[in-house]
Formats: sequence, C-alpha cells, structure tokens
Amino acid sequence: MTISITALSVIVVIATSVATLTPILLLALFIRDWKKGCLW
Amino acid sequence: MTGLDDPILPTSIAWGLLAAFSVLWVVLGWWLGRRNKTAEDHMLAGRNVGLALATATAMATWVTANTTMTAPQLALQLGVWGMLGYSLGALGLILFAPLARRIRELMPRGFTSGDFIRLRFGTFTWRVFLVVSLIYAFGWLVSMAMAGGVLINALAGIDYRVGMTVILTVCVVYTLLGGLRAVIGTDFIQTIIIIGGAAFIAWLTIDKVGFEAIHFNLMEERPELLNLLFPAAIMFLFNNLLFGVGEIFHSNVWWSRAFAFGRNVGFRAYLFGGLLWLPIPIVAGFIALATPALGINVPAADMVGPLVAAEVLGLTGAIVVFIVVFAALASSLDSLLAATSDLVTRDIYRGHIRPQASEQHQFHATKVIVVLLGLLTWLAASYRGEIPIVGSLAELLYFTGAFVASAIWPIVAGLYWQKANPQGAAWSMILGSGIGLASYFLIGFYVAALVGAAVSLAVMVLTTWLMPRPFDWGRLARSDAEVPA
Repeated sequence: MTISITALSVIVVIATSVATLTPILLLALFIRDWKKGCLW
Repeated sequence: MTGLDDPILPTSIAWGLLAAFSVLWVVLGWWLGRRNKTAEDHMLAGRNVGLALATATAMATWVTANTTMTAPQLALQLGVWGMLGYSLGALGLILFAPLARRIRELMPRGFTSGDFIRLRFGTFTWRVFLVVSLIYAFGWLVSMAMAGGVLINALAGIDYRVGMTVILTVCVVYTLLGGLRAVIGTDFIQTIIIIGGAAFIAWLTIDKVGFEAIHFNLMEERPELLNLLFPAAIMFLFNNLLFGVGEIFHSNVWWSRAFAFGRNVGFRAYLFGGLLWLPIPIVAGFIALATPALGINVPAADMVGPLVAAEVLGLTGAIVVFIVVFAALASSLDSLLAATSDLVTRDIYRGHIRPQASEQHQFHATKVIVVLLGLLTWLAASYRGEIPIVGSLAELLYFTGAFVASAIWPIVAGLYWQKANPQGAAWSMILGSGIGLASYFLIGFYVAALVGAAVSLAVMVLTTWLMPRPFDWGRLARSDAEVPA
C-alpha cells in the first residue's frame, strides 16, 4: 500500500505550516508573560 | 552532486558563525545567571518559570541534533513511517503534562527524579534507577557531542574533534555560569532559530523540487519508502513512541523542569510543547525523501539532511543548516549537562558521599560536576567509531532505548498507584533493561524499547498484584528536603 502524492503533500504542508507559525506563537506568549511580569 | 569529501560551507564562514553564536550564548548565560546565589537558584531557576519560556524550553530540549539529523536519516531508511514515527516522540511530552502537575503537587520542594524514587521506593530501587538514568544521560550527551563534531566536519571541513570540542566547551561554559536560568533563556532563542530554519528549508525544498518529482523518483528508485505497510517501519513507530515516553518520564531533564516551572504552568507547557513539536520531525525528515529526485549520493545516512539542504539552497542552505544544528545541539546539550549535574550532585554526591552538604556546598559542587561531565563526554566522543558499540547516531541513541523504556512503568506506578511494590519497581527496570538489550542485539535496534517496556510492565503489574505495599503520599511533601539515609 503506497502513500499517494496528495496524502504526502497534505501531511508535509500542514506540518510545515504549523512549524512556520510556532515562532510567532512563542513570541506572542513571551510578550504576554513579560507584560504580566511572570516571565520567571 | 554533493558528498562528504566536499565541505558545503567555507571554513572561514563556519568559524565566524561558531564564534558569533558562542559569544552570544556565553554572554546571555552569564547575564541570566548573574543573580543565582543558591543551589536552588542555579538548579531550578527560582521555581517560577512562566508559560512562554517553559513551552520553548520543553520544545528546544526535545529538538536535538538527533531530531535534525536522525529524522532525515530515518526517512531515508524507513520512508514515510520513519518521519511519522519520529514525530510520535511528541507523545512523550504530551503524556508527561499530567505527570508534571502531579510531581509539582506531590513534591513542591523536590529537586530531582532521584529524590522521588528514593522517597517513594527506597534505597535499592533508587540505586537501580540512578544506574539506568545515568547510562541514558551519558549516552545522550555523547551522541550529541558526536553529532556536533560530525556536522561541523561535514558542513565546513573543520576537524571532527575540534568542532566537537568547541560546541561542548561553549555549552559547559554558559551552563556553568548561569545554571538552569541560562539554559531556559537560551532555549527560547534557540527554539525560534531551529523551527524557523527547519521550516525555511522545507518550504524551499517543496518549491524547488516539488511533491510530484519527489513521489515519482521514489516510486522509481526506492518504492519501499512510500509503502505504508513497511514492517520494520511499523515496528519502529511503536518502538519510537515508547522510547520517547521512556526518555521523558524518567529523565531528570524533564523532572527538573517540572520542579522549576511555576505552579499551574507545567501541564500547559508540556502539552503545548508536545503539540508544537509534533510536526518538526516531519519537516526535518521530509527533505531526505528528495534525495532520489535530486540525484544525491548519500555516503553516510546521518548526513542526508545537511546534504539535501546544501544541494537545494547552496551557500544559504549550508549557513541555515549550520545555525539550526548549532542551536539544536546547544539547546539539548546545555539541558542535559544541567540536569545530569543536578542528579549527580543531589543523588550521588549528597546522597552517597556527603549527606550533610550545605546548600552553598551543593551550589559549588554542581559547577564542578558540570565541568567533569563535559570532560567525560569529550573523552567518549573523541573515540567515535573506535568503540564497536558506538556506530551511527541512531544506533547509539536506540541502544539506550531498553534502559529508558524499562523506567516508564516504575515512574507511572510510583506517581499514581498507591500500592506499587518498591522491589517490583527495581526488578522491572533490571529485567526490562536486560531483556530489552538482548533484543537489541538479537533482533534489531528498533525493538529494544518495545521489549524493555513490555517486560517492565509485566514485572511491575505482577509484583504489585501479588505483593501490594500501601504508601502515604504525604510523605513525599514532608520529606523531600530531608537528607538521604
């Protein structure tokens, strides 16, 4: 049973999109913690 | 065509990058750790780390050189299931989320995973656990130091021992200066670099090569890599799942963070960290599937990631890979150095050698131990390939699989089963590790964790069922700061 091009591309594109958004999410969390004074 | 004989990054650029990032990590480590006054500050960063830094450090520590190098290697060897199987390592972080909350509730003043095992199961099980834990920690340290040397050599032609020495020294220096605060602070920046860089390379590979070319060439040359019923790969998938869970559940790297994160932060940090980590091995591993389409000759499987990046992106790709790998190596090496030195300080030095050691004495001891660990790691990594058991990175990593998987059930039972048998916990680790190791040599690297976990579970369940030993949970909170007997 071979994985199709569509299935392969969907998995990889979703994974890469999430990875692209992750740094933005972490920076937003950092700014939120910093403003609330709870970084450490 | 690219091969290991042709460095893909000019040596002068590589030295410039090494120098710039080394200075950045060391200065940041010193700055973050300048207010550390006690062993508790140094080891646990004040016990109130917030969600952003906590999530990032969980992710960064779990994204190792093994992820950035072994994920492509496994995709090349085991195909689609190789990269998907590696991504299941995220379940370790996700499943640890409730454990982190439980650990913080049961031991609000705890320091190490060894503290918990000693108080919960007694001295014999504690010593067995320390052996298992230290074998794993040292194997992981050496595998990352080796990865650093191999990568710097392959990417820039810098001698293996020189590159390995530089990266290890930098990590030792800033961990020494700043303790866990330095580790967590640098981890945040390293996470952004690693994930941003990996995503950048993946998008450009998709753009320049395309899914159709990748799929077509794989069907022509390596059709088994697209096979969803590849038996060894499916076995690997379950093995990797248990390996990841075992690594996280037992290791002081994760326990020290559970103690260091603020109240109510640990659960969310590990959950978010796991969910955001899940796609990373797919992103890093996928590019290896492009090798047939690119016509790349891969002389060493664990070098496939950097080779593809350099082939697709040229000098820019080589620079991005170099920075990503340096960040990935540093983010895990520093965590492991800090957590292992804490474990050695608390459980070996204070636990076995000097029970009356004061807080200040432990503060100094942990620094000396970081340096000694760095030296030992350097010695072992210097002899890469000359020790028969230390072959490829994946082989070294999975050699420790039997040990870590055998610790899963004693930890779970210790935290949740009130009647878990202490002797059973010790024997589940001993038999799980022994039989798991036998399967590593007799069957293959991909079953060691699977067998270790199965044997350990059977022993833990059987001994607790036949000889239950009731435990007072309150003892953990009352005595987690006491001197070991």
